[in-house]
Amino acid sequence: MIVFEDVTKIYDPNVVGLQDFTCHIGKGEFVFLVGASGSGKSTLIKLVLKELRPDTGRILVAGRNLGTLRHSKVPLLRRNIGCVFQDFKLLPNKTVYDNVGYALEVVGEPRKSIRRKVPEILSLVGLSEKTNSYPHEISGGEQQRVSVARAFVNHPPLLLADEPTGNIDPETAVGIMQLLVRINRTGTTVLVATHDRDMVNRMRRRVLQLDTGRLVRDEHRGGYDQVAASEEEGA
Amino acid sequence: MRVGFFLGEAIGSMRRNWVMAMAAVITVFVSTAILGAVLVTQGNLEKGATSLKNRVVIEVFIKDEASQKAVKALENKIAAIPEVKEYEYISKEEALERFRKRFDERIVDNLNVNPLPASYEIQVKDANQVDMVARQFFNEPTVDNDPGTHNGVKYARETVRRMLGTIRIVGWGMWVATGVFALAAVLLISTTVRLSIFARRREVEIMRLVGATNWFIRWPFVLEGFITGLLGALLAVGFVYASNWALANWLKSSSIDFLDVDVINLIWQDAVWPLGLLPTLVILGAVLGAIGSLLALRRYLKT
Repeated sequence: MIVFEDVTKIYDPNVVGLQDFTCHIGKGEFVFLVGASGSGKSTLIKLVLKELRPDTGRILVAGRNLGTLRHSKVPLLRRNIGCVFQDFKLLPNKTVYDNVGYALEVVGEPRKSIRRKVPEILSLVGLSEKTNSYPHEISGGEQQRVSVARAFVNHPPLLLADEPTGNIDPETAVGIMQLLVRINRTGTTVLVATHDRDMVNRMRRRVLQLDTGRLVRDEHRGGYDQVAASEEEGA
Repeated sequence: MRVGFFLGEAIGSMRRNWVMAMAAVITVFVSTAILGAVLVTQGNLEKGATSLKNRVVIEVFIKDEASQKAVKALENKIAAIPEVKEYEYISKEEALERFRKRFDERIVDNLNVNPLPASYEIQVKDANQVDMVARQFFNEPTVDNDPGTHNGVKYARETVRRMLGTIRIVGWGMWVATGVFALAAVLLISTTVRLSIFARRREVEIMRLVGATNWFIRWPFVLEGFITGLLGALLAVGFVYASNWALANWLKSSSIDFLDVDVINLIWQDAVWPLGLLPTLVILGAVLGAIGSLLALRRYLKT
């Protein structure tokens, strides 16, 4: 689903985003991306969305080579990628319903099927009662669930989450993570960048760890810290 | 294209951001109204100037003893001058009648003879030609050489010269003012549109992340700019029309009715404004709003 080959991205005054990064993420995988702030997690996500261009290296997403992908096709790429962000990125002037519906309007979905699909997905994330609320009227956890609903309403093959639980309390975070797991079970590849140590340790999924732009660990059924994991093995 | 959706988005966003939308409409209104007022004033001044120019008359006085034949020859001469627009023969009796109307009747009643000469009143096509036409009668034998008039040819020479000079300067001044206010209107409107889009740049970013194509993002903004410009310009044009109408009525009822201010012609076509001045302003406002949105969006739609 995602292939990075020797990708390097250096920001202007010599700040390393990603360096010689290579990895393959298969279809249907659930992958955690961990590392300190500034280690390159967000850079990686932006590269997948073609919000940024790499300096060198090749990136393939769903079989498309992003290097040769035409500018005008970028929106098409993004429609195949659901996105969840730490700051939710909801349209402040639209209701919960319209925020989710917008992702369908964008792809030219007929009005009739929008009216069917939006309530469906809202009930899946447990927000049926908040349909006509505006983002500022609901809690952070609820906003993040709207954001997840919007990301998944098109049933994209790939879902990216950048610190999805960064702004919400631990209990609500568990709910969000469960949602992502459910989405993963439908066959959608899920990539989650996170700082949430407990969550990663509890879920035991594939873990990619970054340190100043380099991949320092790629472990299946991994924990948040390499140290913790190897200590476990040693004991 | 989903016109309904885009229109809904545009109107919905104006309703939700109504403070910003109002500010933009008012900006368009004020700048278009000022521009419109300047243009209408210019149009009116030009009309006034034309009607003033048309009033410039050359009076050619005829000697009482001139023969019918000589008078006829004079008339032929007048008719042959290409710069002459129209002319009229004023007989001694008519001249007296006019005098009687204009001044105190008793003066005239006390006269035994009619002292007023017959004359030709000549209007020229262009006030600039007055002098040139008048000179052609200076040494005419049929013309009454009464001292105090120019060889029996009377016209407001100095006045015409000054009037034409003034009209020219005022005309230039108005064009400069028009240019300045048109520029101000364009800048004000585009700044307002840019501000309102700047306030919503995060929205644009989110739309892009969700996979909206650039035109999908643009259309609602362009429509919003169009509607804003249209509303503001319509208000402005209504305002300009109403005040011009009031002014015209006041002028007509006052002593300076010679300015001949015309309301209707400003709305309908003339040579300078093939679509009519006021409709042109409305279109200008709407198009400026739309183009302003388009340009302001450019920097947020780059990758």
